[in-house]
Amino acid sequence: MTMPFYVSPEQLIKDRAEFAQKGIARGRSMVAAIYDRGVLLVAENPSASLYKISEIYDRIAFAGVGKYNEFDRLREAGIRWADGTGFTYSREDVDARALANYYAQHLGDMFTEGQKPLEVEILVAQLGSNLRPTKLYRIAYEGTIADEPRFAILGGDAETIKARFAEADETVQPLARTLKDAVAALAGPERTLPTSDLEVGILEDRGNRRTFVRLTDEQIDELLS
Amino acid sequence: MGLPLFSAHSDPGPSFFHYAEKAGLTTQVGLGEHDSAHATTVIAVRYVGGVVMVGDRQATSNYIASRDVRKIEPADFYTALAISGTAARGIEFIRMAQLSFEHYEKMTDSALSLEGKANYLSPIVQRNNLTTPLLVIPMLAGWDPSHQEGRIFEYDGAGGCYERLDFATIGSGSPFAESTLRLGFRSDLDLDGALDLGALALYEAGDNDPSTAGPDFVRNLFPMMVTVSENGFQELTTDEVASRFRVINDRRTQSGGIAGGTLR
Repeated sequence: MTMPFYVSPEQLIKDRAEFAQKGIARGRSMVAAIYDRGVLLVAENPSASLYKISEIYDRIAFAGVGKYNEFDRLREAGIRWADGTGFTYSREDVDARALANYYAQHLGDMFTEGQKPLEVEILVAQLGSNLRPTKLYRIAYEGTIADEPRFAILGGDAETIKARFAEADETVQPLARTLKDAVAALAGPERTLPTSDLEVGILEDRGNRRTFVRLTDEQIDELLS
Repeated sequence: MGLPLFSAHSDPGPSFFHYAEKAGLTTQVGLGEHDSAHATTVIAVRYVGGVVMVGDRQATSNYIASRDVRKIEPADFYTALAISGTAARGIEFIRMAQLSFEHYEKMTDSALSLEGKANYLSPIVQRNNLTTPLLVIPMLAGWDPSHQEGRIFEYDGAGGCYERLDFATIGSGSPFAESTLRLGFRSDLDLDGALDLGALALYEAGDNDPSTAGPDFVRNLFPMMVTVSENGFQELTTDEVASRFRVINDRRTQSGGIAGGTLR
């Protein structure tokens, strides 16, 4: 009789974590930061059509790094969840915290029970209102959810970028300054990122129900100049 | 509601209606005996820069249930949606349409074409009207940014969608409004001409159809008037609407309640 190999739970988790981390590290990183009037999302993304940043609902945005097909499916599920919840109850009942929790549960389930863990790290951002605070929820591949106070970095090189951005921006700043520092933090001292490699979205109140806007290359250039 | 994840072969795509059906968010309907009044008049008229819509505000069951119903709503920036028929189903229909267009935009990062929006509503109308006596007949009008013109789409009870190149009406007051529009429509109508004609057609419907309310000077309640152009959906203020209807009303008063030989 052949005996199945025994793999300790510690080893199993370690292997899976390593696998997911490797997958995520292959992609480029992104920065999400609260600025004085809203929330900024900046990703290094050479593609002009395969987005990492997206609108989920009136005051909620999504961002993902890692394997595109995996986080895009999560993005779609988020839009469906938000629109379905708003349709069943009311638009003001759609809360980013609930969505972030669902994402965390799903990623956690996939990490322990799935064929393979998802190679993604995602972010749910909420622009505050009189009902809810401005929030950045970062959810890691194994389902860990973190409520980031001022900014969040997603991707393989997160620790270095985090140190660079924290040093540049010690408090909440206006949009142009936040964007400049975020781009500089993503690029590092040896590189400059061309505008065409940047994907930028913001959540900001401009008198409309929907607060998400994707910035054009011209708008990005203007803010960076 | 959990996280709605689908595998690639069972994914409902960017259609909110198909997702809502799968997720059980839509009402399941069956046959039953209900009153299905479709007491309303809503008019859409094309003009050179877009579309004008005029709709009365009365909800009627056996008596007047409400005098300030909004039967025309923006479905999105460039599109107006009007309903006639059962109020409950009509309101759900408008919510479904508004949400669907936005849902599609968020899912695919591109807006539906105006024709795409019109066709999308067909099976929803069909499913409702062929499975329940609670009929809903909508009308879609909007500015088509890719063709740079206003367009009107009307529906029949079975969900058939027809584009109208001149004007369209829905509701019980349609015959009276339609007659006025047929006499007064020209293909070179400007905005002011289209608003005048639309107001007159609605006045006629209110004058002849017991379930359509004309201007109510006592309560200061007036029909809704809306334009959809390259500037998007815009609603006329109560004062603007009131002055148009006051002019018609004064003329009619002078000529003893009849139009008096001309279209006015």
